[in-house]
Amino acid sequence: MALSPTLPGRAAVAGRVVLAAGGGYGIAALSTALLSLTLPMPRAEAVTTATLASFAIMIAIVVVAFAARSLARAALVIGGLAVVLGLALWLVAGAGPIGAAP
Amino acid sequence: MKKGFRQSMAWLHTWSGLVVGWVLFAVFVTGTASYYRAEISRWMQPELRREATVTPDALAQAADLAVAHLQANAAGARMWFVTLPTAERPLVELFWRTRPGTPPGHVLLDPRTGGPAELRATKGGDFFYRFHFELHLPPLWGRWIVGICAMIMLVALVSGVITHRRIFSDFFTLRRDKAAQRGWLDAHNVSGVLALPFHLMITYTGVVTLALMYMPWGVTAAYHGDQQAYFAETGQITQGRPPAGQPGTLAPVGPMVREAMARIPEPLERLTIINPRDANATVVAVFEEPHGLSHEHPQVAFAGTSGTVVEVLSGGLRPAAKTFTTMVGLHEAHFAGPALRVLFFLCGLMGCAMVGSGLVLWCVARLPKAGAPAGLGWRLVHGLNVGAIAGLPAGIAAYLLANRLLPLDLAGRAEREVWVFFGTWIVVAVAGSLPAPRRAWRGATALVAALFVAVVVADLATAQATWDDPAWFLGFDAALLALAAGFAVISHKVDRFAAPRRARAAAGGQAGEPQMGPA
Amino acid sequence: MTLLVSAGLSFLGLSALCLSLSRHHQAVWSAPPDRRRALALRAAGWVLVALSLAAAIGLDGGTFGPVHWLGSLIAAGLCLIVALSYRPRAVVWMAPAAAVLAAVAALGSMA
Repeated sequence: MALSPTLPGRAAVAGRVVLAAGGGYGIAALSTALLSLTLPMPRAEAVTTATLASFAIMIAIVVVAFAARSLARAALVIGGLAVVLGLALWLVAGAGPIGAAP
Repeated sequence: MKKGFRQSMAWLHTWSGLVVGWVLFAVFVTGTASYYRAEISRWMQPELRREATVTPDALAQAADLAVAHLQANAAGARMWFVTLPTAERPLVELFWRTRPGTPPGHVLLDPRTGGPAELRATKGGDFFYRFHFELHLPPLWGRWIVGICAMIMLVALVSGVITHRRIFSDFFTLRRDKAAQRGWLDAHNVSGVLALPFHLMITYTGVVTLALMYMPWGVTAAYHGDQQAYFAETGQITQGRPPAGQPGTLAPVGPMVREAMARIPEPLERLTIINPRDANATVVAVFEEPHGLSHEHPQVAFAGTSGTVVEVLSGGLRPAAKTFTTMVGLHEAHFAGPALRVLFFLCGLMGCAMVGSGLVLWCVARLPKAGAPAGLGWRLVHGLNVGAIAGLPAGIAAYLLANRLLPLDLAGRAEREVWVFFGTWIVVAVAGSLPAPRRAWRGATALVAALFVAVVVADLATAQATWDDPAWFLGFDAALLALAAGFAVISHKVDRFAAPRRARAAAGGQAGEPQMGPA
Repeated sequence: MTLLVSAGLSFLGLSALCLSLSRHHQAVWSAPPDRRRALALRAAGWVLVALSLAAAIGLDGGTFGPVHWLGSLIAAGLCLIVALSYRPRAVVWMAPAAAVLAAVAALGSMA
């Protein structure tokens, strides 16, 4: 399935690749940090669980980035998720400096 | 990309698979070889004499010998690593790290004499093992490249599963008598779907082995980025003991070795000595994993200057940590006995077949029409395919051949073997991209078969006198001959498959649409 | 030894599953299966595959059992697929052979 070899077509594909890589890693990183601080288990266990899950989260975001009907919609979903996660992380970590013992 | 979920996943599968396919093929081949890393190392040092048993006394003595050598030759180092002799490999291997950025020091000692072991210099099977996650690049670069490729492979696996909706009905089918594209598609499906649990496991757990390098943000958030503190808190390593900043004298390690072995039933594998000249020096005795899936080494830590036990780690991991160590254990498969190891090896070969057939499929599906010239992209992919799929095995065979043919006292011998590996790979890749595709495949695969036969001939001619266990070496050579036969069969098939293909393709039109083919 | 038990049972199960599909049934017995036969084969296949998992867990425990089972399932599948594409009719004698192998290996591992 060769995508339309026109310039806009290629730009859309490039956009999705950038969104999948950057958005996927960004959301995986944010969720790892957030879950590490919030999961109700000992600190080491929370970090391990969050880190192990992060790669599955990244794959899911990549699939979303390529499956969404349009680049704009994909960017909206992933960007929205990133904002929500970022806000939550800021609230959780904002109480003290990041790294303070929970 | 407005063509629905499945088509977009098919597109993603094709292109994500293509861009990382060559690296993945190399990682799969060398990783699969790593299941027999110890055997490859043994074959590459036929002078090595195994011993019936290694007594605790011999271990304690070897440890003292190792420390004496390090005191004399690596006094300024921050860390000493001592791998102790086993019956299979009665050698003391020393590594030491002086400061970040400088390469570690390394020497192999004979535990009986304390002098350097009299073996031919080679990287052995460890070369394939390190290559499969570092690609012989600077470690940071290699590990990131392999990690990114592994993540893209996961994407290709997931999108492949979504695309291939008729998994069940095509599961058992390997059509040999239809069009070439159909045959390659079936080969790709069968090797991919049949061993899918293995592919998913090996790729995910592969990323997990280096998880904290790729995804350090949990440790950043919860531990200020202190990975040692995190690992110690999970119970995987002993607590760090910061240096006191004052000089101290290391107590004899022999008694520590005996003390540690009295506490842990597993065989002792190695010693780690941290800040050896500091008043707060630490000696950690690391044991082999107990029987189980989990990669979990029991450890006993000693205060280096007094020789008293400060910590004993043995089991008792919490669930998430246990999950992590089990994933790493599954990846390494240290637990696998001979029969299960063969199955892991087979699965690894199916991984190679999946990646290789996927790469070939891309080309076959885009064969230029008769008379039309091939485009630049097609020729590039084809050249890289020949270079990866035939060039790498040729390099491996040449590496083994160099091990038998290079003079034993050659300076930098171990590095020369690696040069031969890369030199052969590059030559085959370049030469393979010049002739017409079919001739290139036939010639390159025939060359690989010939090289593996040459390895066996060279082994029989030069090393037979040094074998300590002829049956074992003959078995290894038989495995190499089986590889040679496999490549000879491929070469023969490539040669024969040409003519009847078009005719049969026309006759077999009822086969239906390819499920995963890039149309 | 225990690997052979689950490999034999997996081979039987996968053979039944694949013969429940018209294309493969036809290659072996030159006619597609009727509905009842296809359903019976499919049910028998899943039961046998489940049995091979149960045997692996029973013989090797909950930790190694599933790993051994997956390994032997993949190997059995590979044998079956190679047989189907080169000599489909060989399945007719390979399946009973697999059953005998599994039984002998089971007796051997219990003794």
